Amino acid sequence: MTRATVLLALALGAGCKPPKPGEPLRGLSKAERAQFDSGRAVFDSTFTPATGVGPLFNASGCGECHEDPVSGGVGDEVERHAAVFNPQRIGFVCDQLADKGGPVFQDSVTPALHAALGIDSEPLPPGVTVVAARTTPDVLGFGLLDAVPDSVILSYADPDDSNHDGISGRPNRFVDGRLGRFGRKAFVPTLREFNDGAFPVEVGVTDSSAREENTVTGRPLPPGTDPLPEPELKTRALVLNDAFVRMLAPPAPLKQSSDARHGRELFARVGCTGCHIPVLKTGDNPIAALSHKEVAAYTDLLLHDMGNELADICFGLATPSEFRTEPLMGLRFASHFLHDGRATTPEQAIDFHGGEASRARDLFRALSPADRAALVAFLKTL
Amino acid sequence: MYRTALLFVALVVSPCAATRLPAQQPNQPAVPHDSVRGAVKTIDVHARTVEITTGVGYAMRVVRLQVPASAPITDHQKAQADTIGLSALKLGDVVRARFGGHAAPFVAYTIERLGTMTAGVDSIP
Repeated sequence: MTRATVLLALALGAGCKPPKPGEPLRGLSKAERAQFDSGRAVFDSTFTPATGVGPLFNASGCGECHEDPVSGGVGDEVERHAAVFNPQRIGFVCDQLADKGGPVFQDSVTPALHAALGIDSEPLPPGVTVVAARTTPDVLGFGLLDAVPDSVILSYADPDDSNHDGISGRPNRFVDGRLGRFGRKAFVPTLREFNDGAFPVEVGVTDSSAREENTVTGRPLPPGTDPLPEPELKTRALVLNDAFVRMLAPPAPLKQSSDARHGRELFARVGCTGCHIPVLKTGDNPIAALSHKEVAAYTDLLLHDMGNELADICFGLATPSEFRTEPLMGLRFASHFLHDGRATTPEQAIDFHGGEASRARDLFRALSPADRAALVAFLKTL
Repeated sequence: MYRTALLFVALVVSPCAATRLPAQQPNQPAVPHDSVRGAVKTIDVHARTVEITTGVGYAMRVVRLQVPASAPITDHQKAQADTIGLSALKLGDVVRARFGGHAAPFVAYTIERLGTMTAGVDSIP
């Protein structure tokens, strides 16, 4: 074997290696790769009052929360969401408190807002009885989730449980009627909106998509507390940030031991795959690396009733006990599990499953200790 | 004969004029204009006000509109749009509204009902 052949083989081998966490999708064009790299700088930016943070905010930049083990990963921050569920109010049963500062209530304020109002966080409106805690998910592979056609998601819906398997996934809808898929309640239709909306809501930085500053529980900001003109972030930065998130590669599953492979079989056998669909396929996409790809997301992106124990707030069409099937890709990076982080191990998270997942949970509980360990070993490879 | 011809012309022309009026909006005031698509949150038929919930991702807001009696409200759920009254709007209807004004409540120029949040509206025309 010549030296050149060895070098070629090494180069080819490197090309076949799956991307590491935080790396871009394989197969990007030069221009796409450049956008990804520039977008990372926006994602990792730290905003200050002088550059637009606040007056209300949860973090000073995307990378402050989505940080572990890399930019775009999980975080230990937990934020507050609130909404009021009115089941008797036909047609609009969920008030997300959009005119009262909701649905996200920020936990930090700038010194100027503190000086003006004497508050350290956004007060909740009167009458709010349920506050939902929301952990920071990773966003790795979200571009692929965005590229899954609506028709694929809707093909898994079975709102009336017509196949009598006890699982009745249904879609959530944004307020303008489009199919939702992002967020713990599958409320937001597209990744671009998820990203663009996060700047004003999480960082307090207005942008060309969302030009209005957060109110203080529905009240306008006091004069002098928001000195920069809107929008505070240029469209170019918004586009680049979206490009970075969109082109982040999904976490490649780890090599599976024989135990983990056995666990994967058990995962299907006990019925977890009824909602945690192992693979979704993307459709046409202007980015070739996202077009007609398979993503091992382990979700159907639909709402399922998870029982009263997990219930918190409504969101769009989602009732308090309905949650989107959480994608399990990247689960190995999490140290807390479920939407509010109440579980500290995957076993606990399974144990908290109720509602439509009760049967799968009970079958998991009935497994031998070795089989339960194998199933968890499989989950830890994702 | 002459009177019949006039009536005929009037009959042919008047429906065209009526359908063109909303698009022309000749009396649209010289104030900032905007449009919004979202779900009807509240309706007060007597005060002729509508609140629409809209947003970008989790950055949500409520737009309050005053709806003059002259503002056309149409239902686009069928192939041919029907004119409807304010009282025909329901909570959770997905609407697109064009409006203007410097501060809330803004003044609605047109409101189009596109569907309902529950049933879903798939595209943004």
